[in-house]
Amino acid sequence: MNHRKKPEQEARKPSLVPPYLAGLLSLVVPGLGQFLARTYRRGAILLGSFISLVGLMIWRIQLAGKRVEGALEIIQKAYRLRPILIVLTVLMVIFYLWIAYDAYLMAKRTRGTPLGLIFMVLIIFFIMGWQIGDINPVALVTDLDEAAGPLSEVLWPWERAVTYPEEEIIAIMPIQVPCTESDPPDVPDYGEGEPRLEAEPRCGQLSEQGGETGTKITLHGENYLPGKTVNILWEDPIGNEFRARQGGEYVKVVPDENGEFTIDIVLPYRLLPPSATEPSYIWDLKARQVTSLGAAQASKELKLAIEKIIETIFIGMMATFFGVIIALPVSFLAARNLMSANKFTLIIYYIARGVMNIVRSIEPLIWAVIALIVVGLGPFAGIIALTIHSIAALGKLYSEAIESIDPGPIEAVQATGANWAQTIMYGVVPQIIPPFVSFTIYRWDINIRMSTIIGMVGGGGIGFLLIQWMRLLDYKAAGIAIWFITITVAILDYVSAEIRERFV
Amino acid sequence: MLEVKNLTKVYDDGTVALKNISFTVEDGEFLIIIGLSGSGKSTLLRCVNRLIDPTEGDIIWDGVNLAKLEGEELRKARRQIGMIFQHFNLVRRSSVMTNVLSGRLGYSPTFQTMMHQFKESDREKAWQALERLGIEDQAFKRADELSGGQQQRVGIARALMQDPELILADEPVASLDPVLAHSILTYLERLNQEDEMTIVCSLHYLDLVQRYSTRVLGLREGEIVYRGTREEIRAMTDEEFQEIYGEQAQRVTGGLEGNLDEFGLGE
Ligand SMILES: Nc1ncnc2c1ncn2[C@@H]1O[C@H](COP(=O)(O)OP(=O)(O)OP(=O)(O)O)[C@@H](O)[C@H]1O
Ligand SMILES: [Mg+2]
Repeated sequence: MNHRKKPEQEARKPSLVPPYLAGLLSLVVPGLGQFLARTYRRGAILLGSFISLVGLMIWRIQLAGKRVEGALEIIQKAYRLRPILIVLTVLMVIFYLWIAYDAYLMAKRTRGTPLGLIFMVLIIFFIMGWQIGDINPVALVTDLDEAAGPLSEVLWPWERAVTYPEEEIIAIMPIQVPCTESDPPDVPDYGEGEPRLEAEPRCGQLSEQGGETGTKITLHGENYLPGKTVNILWEDPIGNEFRARQGGEYVKVVPDENGEFTIDIVLPYRLLPPSATEPSYIWDLKARQVTSLGAAQASKELKLAIEKIIETIFIGMMATFFGVIIALPVSFLAARNLMSANKFTLIIYYIARGVMNIVRSIEPLIWAVIALIVVGLGPFAGIIALTIHSIAALGKLYSEAIESIDPGPIEAVQATGANWAQTIMYGVVPQIIPPFVSFTIYRWDINIRMSTIIGMVGGGGIGFLLIQWMRLLDYKAAGIAIWFITITVAILDYVSAEIRERFV
Repeated sequence: MLEVKNLTKVYDDGTVALKNISFTVEDGEFLIIIGLSGSGKSTLLRCVNRLIDPTEGDIIWDGVNLAKLEGEELRKARRQIGMIFQHFNLVRRSSVMTNVLSGRLGYSPTFQTMMHQFKESDREKAWQALERLGIEDQAFKRADELSGGQQQRVGIARALMQDPELILADEPVASLDPVLAHSILTYLERLNQEDEMTIVCSLHYLDLVQRYSTRVLGLREGEIVYRGTREEIRAMTDEEFQEIYGEQAQRVTGGLEGNLDEFGLGE
């Protein structure tokens, strides 16, 4: 009744200033004219919109016109770099003039809807939002071919899920650099039937940059697997291994049917930290063959993903479990029909409700970050975060279920002469069990979903792996994690829907 | 014999629902209470089995003052008094059987009932009650799967489980159509005549009142404004009835002759 009358009264009272003055005043301070025409709310809204839009404009212009001095230069640069700011400025000017015209109309007591003005504000905000949000639909298309590779890896990552066990066949020959009076190091004691190497000469000079090529060594190998590529590697005196290159190509050789090969290797160019104490160094020349044997095995990534998805499911489960246990008693404190008996219990009710509303409005991810500070990285932090959020969410749902209990059946049971315990068991419990079960399953579902991403901030579970693999650009491994998450959530969805259907 | 003496009920918010009411119900009577909505019918019935506490006055049943009973004694007394509700008040998600058996709670040890265990004789009794009301084939359905008439029969079966000597019925047919209303009241009439149970029932329809009552009380604003015998009420015209009753008075006659169209106009 009351609130309906107000605008009418507002409209009927005459303006404090003549129309043209109202218009002029609104040019000085947008909205002032409307105020003096006694359309207070309209004035306030227009003033608020205008100030916030101007503020946003200034910010965007400063941002676009960075690193130049002087207001004019900044504006010039901003307009040049971001032409859309010009459009915005024009719209702002129209808006500003429109406000003044509106003040004139208001003071004339014309009944105009503010729809046009509101529309104007919305358009300006929209364009501004487009600019602030860096919205660029073209990027969706232009970078598509670049993204296609990684995307397809994510979509079908399964070759990364298996590995084949590998065996290395390797023999090492130490080479002395440079040649000195002392003999080159002993030839290693190759075992019978094991791969072995022979080299001639056993010492030499490194290549120099732009200068002489190094000593050429003839390397002969035996007892390798026929037909499989052998890679030649060097290990320098400080332990760095690198593949030998000649003419820009990696050096490799394929052994003949006897498992033998012979190849010429030039000592490479390498800059080593000079050390005056040693007259010579030992470089290891290696010939390595890698063969895969046996059946496919689960890869390290697959195993990790399985481990972590199990951890994820259990994080969600434990959080639900703790959440339910704590939410049950709390929900009774937050049920109005139980707590409205007197002032004291009513205060408890308001506190319980208030705390739950606040806790619920903070996302589990943020709770996880807070929990991390206390208990450190790992699944426990995730469990704490989800538990806290579950208590608040379940507490509210449970207490609403309690509030919607039908008192009729309770009275009917009481009227038969049942005692307190019997009344609860036969009148109350059957009414709250189904909603409680339903809400609990629903929460369990949410908790497992949440636990898949809570790892991204360090709260344990598969999210951690996912974010890590993404950062390493290991899209196939990340794809495995995404597949696991999708499958788990889909199964869970189905199961929880099924259970809920049974109960409700 | 039920004797109500100077009964007054003032609700917490100050509403005076009953003002110094006195009346007597002899054993075996079918007393019908009529009155406008808000006249205090429910309040009166619920004071008798103490679902609400009377503010003043006595309610003497079998020589015991129900108004003064507490705890165990009150529960013992409640066992003798069955109650039937307008909205049936069944536990909707429990089975019909469980609802009926709950009428036996006052006689059963707490611990067993917590485990949903009832004596074999109680289960037997429940079957008999269901059979008597013709709903034995619904026994294992959920209560809310039944039609309104069937639900009210479950309500009666639950009351029967108490072996009551007195049955309180608060507008037992107000949410049912006229045919069902007759069938439910016929069950109550049988309990009254065959089992000699005393029945106190509130009702809205004049012809139902005329057909089933042995005595009538009229309530208005918490006071008794009419007392009539069976004969008096049968001789009553619609106009007289409306005078004590008010605008809500209505007939459902014709229902049994088969003129079903009129039922829809009842409201
Ligand atoms: N719990 C309550 N608190 C306060 N006032 C109540 C309460 N219950 C009933 N009243 C009031 O007491 C008066 C009698 O109510 P009662 O329910 O007994 O009427 P009734 O005759 O049963 O009406 P109806 O035919 O609508 O069921 C009414 O004025 C009602 O508003
Ligand atoms: Mg009532």
